Amino acid sequence: MAAEQINEQKYHEVWTTPVIRMGMATMLIACVLSFIPLIYLYMVHGILPPFGPSLAAWGLVASVFGAFYIVEPISYYPILGLAGTYISFLSGNISNLRLPCSAMAQEVVGVQEGTKQAEIIGTMGIIGSVITNLIGVTLAAFVGSWLIGLFPAFVADAFRKYTAPAIFGAVFGQFAMRQPKLAPFALVIPLGLLYIKAPIWLVILAAVFGTIIISRVFYKMKIIH
Amino acid sequence: MSHLEEVLTVANSMGAWITAAPIVIIALVQVLLYYRQIYHAADAVNLTRNQLSQAFRTGMVTSIGPVVAIFIIMVGLMSVIGAPMAWMRLAVIGAAPTELTAATLGADAMGVKFGGEGYNLQVMAVSWWTMAINGVGWLLLVGLFAHKLEDVREKVGGGDTKWLGILSTAAMIGVFGYLNSRNIVAMGGPLIAAVTGGIAMVILLQIAKKLPQIKEYTLGIAMLIGMFTAMFF
Repeated sequence: MAAEQINEQKYHEVWTTPVIRMGMATMLIACVLSFIPLIYLYMVHGILPPFGPSLAAWGLVASVFGAFYIVEPISYYPILGLAGTYISFLSGNISNLRLPCSAMAQEVVGVQEGTKQAEIIGTMGIIGSVITNLIGVTLAAFVGSWLIGLFPAFVADAFRKYTAPAIFGAVFGQFAMRQPKLAPFALVIPLGLLYIKAPIWLVILAAVFGTIIISRVFYKMKIIH
Repeated sequence: MSHLEEVLTVANSMGAWITAAPIVIIALVQVLLYYRQIYHAADAVNLTRNQLSQAFRTGMVTSIGPVVAIFIIMVGLMSVIGAPMAWMRLAVIGAAPTELTAATLGADAMGVKFGGEGYNLQVMAVSWWTMAINGVGWLLLVGLFAHKLEDVREKVGGGDTKWLGILSTAAMIGVFGYLNSRNIVAMGGPLIAAVTGGIAMVILLQIAKKLPQIKEYTLGIAMLIGMFTAMFF
């Protein structure tokens, strides 16, 4: 089972190379497919989004989210790995679905973090989560308005308001257990930056890479193992 | 027919369904391709079929809770942007708040209030455009440059597996430290949900050491405990 027994060349051949090929192809196809509904609006209803306002809207939305296009892939990469990154950034819902599911799959199978086994098992967990996710949104789209009546208001409220905070707390607890000495830093860095009202993209970067740098220092000083 | 009725009729038309479907299908195709590739690669990294299906099952089970939340939020979104668009947008990158922001900014650029007076088909087209171009930001950058990140990781990792393990744990703690910090600042319900969810998870993982068969469900259970505790405050 040892990682050093893995044949690097074979691994590249059966994993890394096809993963990049499939990832690039599906992501770029998805870019094109994003605009298909606009073609429908034009072909059937003769409506095109006017050029000036469309450019303005692009500018507005890029000023809000543009930094995340770059910061999120870089920050999540060390956790998701290559295939996990392609899948997560196509299917979305990274913090509330992909990261927790990758982590749980690794935890349940019992692979060592940072190894090639861990990457593949994590990817498999993410794939499982995409299937559930697609079933969920498809059900919502076709029978959602009818099904929603079956949820008591109290339950629907609990899911709407508190799923994300509860899962974020739980995953933090899970990983804080593994490296308790890093946990305080991971909270203090973003809290301090939020306090001085730093932009959110900077808070993410600083939380992730600040914690990584501290882990490097602690590792070198043999404070963590 | 008023503007808004016309908008909702077109937004829920058969044409909208048909043109929203391809990107949902490509998301499915992508995971099926990777699923198959994992089975090809499993031998090279000494993973058994049993471990692979265990990982797949864990992913499916763990995501049930969050997917119920997405389901509930999506039904709300459907009444605003129509079912086909909500389906398409929530099957790919960009969660509900992101999509609503993009759709609103599209209307803003037209000088019209989102979903309000004057929100006609042309304004809706700008909303659709804005959601699409925003999603493409992530899709394009990841599609073109994700493999470069692998080179960086190999350099930073330097073949030290132990350090690579600590590195990915540190990144995970960092990301979730950030995600929690926003709920800590929010105080009240979100803070209670996060703290009880965290404590429940730690306890459940301790129990799972003795009772390994519950391990797959620990995160789902911890989430439910956190959520409903917050509801009682």
